[in-house]
Amino acid sequence: MNAHNAYRQGFSFAAVLTALLVSMLVASTARAELLIRITEGADSAIPIAVVPFAESGAMPAGDKVSSIVQADLTMSGEFRPLEPTRMLSLPSQRSEVYFRDWRMLGQRYVLVGQLTRSGERIEARYELFDVNREERILGETAGASANNVRTLAHHISDRVYEAITGDPGVFSTKLAYVTLSRTGGETLYRLQVSDLDGKRARVRLESKEPILSPAWSPDGKQLAYVSFETGKPVVFTHELASGERKKVADFPGLNSAPAWSPDGKSLLLTLSKDGNAEIYRLEIASGNLTRLTNHWAIDTEGAWDHAGRGIFFTSDRSGGPQIYYMERLGAEPRRITFGSRYNARARPDAKGEYVYYVHQRNRAFHIARINLKNGEETVITRTESDESPSVSPNGRMLIYATQQNGTSVLTVVSANGGAAYSLPAADGDVREPAWGPIVR
Amino acid sequence: MKFSVQSKAFAMLLSVGLVAGCSSTGDTMEDGTYGSDVAAIDQDGGSTVYGGADGDGVSSRGLTDDERQAAQQQAEQQALRNITVFYFDFDTSEIKQEARDVLVAHARFLADNPRQKVRLEGHTDERGTKEYNLALGERRASAVQRFLVVNGASRGQLETVSYGEEKPAVHGSSESAWAQNRRVELVFE
Amino acid sequence: MKGHKREIISTEPASLKSPVVMSLALHLLIVGIALAGWSWTSPVSEPEPRQISARLVSPEPRPSPVVDDQDQRDRDQERRQQQERERQEEEAERRRQQEQARQEAERQAQAEAQARQRQQEEQQRQQAQAREREQQQAREQEAARQRAEAEAKERERQRAEQERRQQEEAQRKAEEEKRRQEERRKQEEAERKRQEEAARQEAERRRQEAERRLREQQLEALADESDRQREAEARRQQEAAAARAREAQMLSESERYQSLIRERLSQAWYPPSSATEDMTARIQITLLPTGELVNARLVSSSGNTAFDNSALGAVRSLSRYPVPSDRNTFERYFRQFTIEFNPQRLR
Repeated sequence: MNAHNAYRQGFSFAAVLTALLVSMLVASTARAELLIRITEGADSAIPIAVVPFAESGAMPAGDKVSSIVQADLTMSGEFRPLEPTRMLSLPSQRSEVYFRDWRMLGQRYVLVGQLTRSGERIEARYELFDVNREERILGETAGASANNVRTLAHHISDRVYEAITGDPGVFSTKLAYVTLSRTGGETLYRLQVSDLDGKRARVRLESKEPILSPAWSPDGKQLAYVSFETGKPVVFTHELASGERKKVADFPGLNSAPAWSPDGKSLLLTLSKDGNAEIYRLEIASGNLTRLTNHWAIDTEGAWDHAGRGIFFTSDRSGGPQIYYMERLGAEPRRITFGSRYNARARPDAKGEYVYYVHQRNRAFHIARINLKNGEETVITRTESDESPSVSPNGRMLIYATQQNGTSVLTVVSANGGAAYSLPAADGDVREPAWGPIVR
Repeated sequence: MKFSVQSKAFAMLLSVGLVAGCSSTGDTMEDGTYGSDVAAIDQDGGSTVYGGADGDGVSSRGLTDDERQAAQQQAEQQALRNITVFYFDFDTSEIKQEARDVLVAHARFLADNPRQKVRLEGHTDERGTKEYNLALGERRASAVQRFLVVNGASRGQLETVSYGEEKPAVHGSSESAWAQNRRVELVFE
Repeated sequence: MKGHKREIISTEPASLKSPVVMSLALHLLIVGIALAGWSWTSPVSEPEPRQISARLVSPEPRPSPVVDDQDQRDRDQERRQQQERERQEEEAERRRQQEQARQEAERQAQAEAQARQRQQEEQQRQQAQAREREQQQAREQEAARQRAEAEAKERERQRAEQERRQQEEAQRKAEEEKRRQEERRKQEEAERKRQEEAARQEAERRRQEAERRLREQQLEALADESDRQREAEARRQQEAAAARAREAQMLSESERYQSLIRERLSQAWYPPSSATEDMTARIQITLLPTGELVNARLVSSSGNTAFDNSALGAVRSLSRYPVPSDRNTFERYFRQFTIEFNPQRLR
């Protein structure tokens, strides 16, 4: 009888509990505020109106500042600037901006500005507006000498990019690359440095023998590279401002693959002086050399990780070239790429999120990246015969060399493989791009 | 063309009957043009070319056996040493079977001429990364260097340099071009 | 089967009858020949069973075993001699009478001549018929008598047999009875013990039964209770379902507009390049029933200004939100709600 009662009590308790829960649920659904979750953004680039800047005074011939800004933002792959011909008005200051109009045109941001010439200098006053929030998110002035309008324009592009995306812009960074021209059976290698858009290119070194692997010092003042000018590969450092060069590695055999440490005090090098290609660390000031790898296989293409603690490198110790990571100098290297039989020349981004590299799939060579968090390997280029990836300092873009109609060209893509932008072709092959650092 | 010189050299090599030991091609067949050329010579050659050489031997011009043998050997060596380019398979630095006798001849020559210096230039095809290819060319040159040292050459006579993919023998992106670009060249100074 | 066959034959059409008759005749002939042949080949086998049965029957009916066999034979002899004498006397008498009659008849015949000729013939015929009938009767009587006799004998035999069996049975029963009594005595003993056991078991069974009853009653009570509860639950569920249906109508309406809003905002949102999957921004918005945005407030920041701004920009970029025209649904879900921005698949 007791058991029966307990049973009965259990029944009624459960019933009460159920009723309570139901009523609570009903109550909670009744009271809970609707929550709409947005997990995907627009697939397209951000619409922005770069209104031609108002000008007062004589402006130098050539590209307009706003045109350069527009081209910069387009190249990033993240923006979709509005054609100036489609603009309803051409404001140059806040009072002239009618947000309704820009909203009607589907624009998110409006950049307006004025250029003023004063002597040999050009001053720019520019403002960036968020059309929907009807707020000014940027209002600055900047100036440059009249023959450096491009510098001014790239600076404005950087500022606009950062204000909208939260990442620093890279439009003021420089690009180093090697061109190869063959004229009348004579080959000529040229090491050049240009703006990111390929403009203002300057030859820094010319040689009949190969020039390879230019690498920027972290301060953007020097390049290290491999030159065969002495008949064999020798590593030089080259101060761009003065043109002063230094032979930093001229050992028997191979001297190659220079990579600067983040502090700019040492270089990673690949030397075969001990019989086989190994990676060494050269302290530039003292000339001290430390061997970092020791394996009968090829170890080369060293690159510091973003923190400057460990290195990525290429080794064929597993049979074919693969990328390895040595977490600390002297630690046991760990293979990180497995996606195919050929993965080489690692280039980590500045955030420590991804490593970009050359990846062979079937018969083609692409640029791929590996997510260091989850090990996911993704091919990000659609072209074939791709080489020499170099990541932008903000990690958003990637430049690499590829073949186009039998010649080598440089292509910029967004780092996730989105928009692609081919740099204007110079004469002959363009190869070995190296994306320079952001110089403040 | 280097290639026809090479072919002649191979024909001569066959004519003096040394080919018997190096008839194995097999794996090297996949090595584009070079592999197939070698195979073709092997197939044409064999007994026919060998027979012709024998005839030469029979109609000797009254030299003594020793003299004849020395002359023959000298000719032999000379013929072998005309070959100065050695080819490799993709992403390997393994010296092919058919290159060994030639390299032995070079090694003997270097041993006999200690003042002779030679530059071993390693090359790769255009595929893969430039720096890795630089190391791969270096490894190929080193492989040849080791082989020569083992067979009598002195290390001081030998200098290695790798150009990686920078100095192709043949321009182009075909299997044939690649096969001809994966090589070590001996440059006598 | 046979009847059926006959029926079929009888329903044969007339035209077929003569061939049928012929065939029957032929068959009969064949059967006759076969039978003849058969009886010829085994002439003795047929009557034998009858002889056997006669033999089996004849020794049985001996009614009185008291009568002496010799004595019987003597009396039979005597009777036969007597009968012979009587028969001879009768024979002589009959001959004499016949002579007289013959003379008489001859006389009459001569006297009556032709007049009686026909009558006599008729009489003779009738007499012959009568004789025939008498003989027939006599034969039948004889047969009946013999049958009765045989039956009587059989009955007698059966009775004797019955008696004998009864006697044997009686004896057997007596023995049986004796044995049974012995057995019964033992059984009674056992039974007594068994009954004692049974009584005990019965008591136990009753107790268990009582318990079972009790349990059943309890279970019934429980079942009743749960039935009541089930019913109550069913009612409650019905009510809840109805409520849900009303709710669902509003919800489905609401969901439709939610997904519309989601779609519009997804198209309008440009996550900045600095966005990561860890970033989440929440914006509470207030709308007019027309769908116009009254207010948008960042209630939870992602920690990244560009990200927060991109979300706010997206929210404010919609000139008019898609909202239901049903005022209740609008008030309930869309007057004020929260939008969460959290990129799962970055561009």
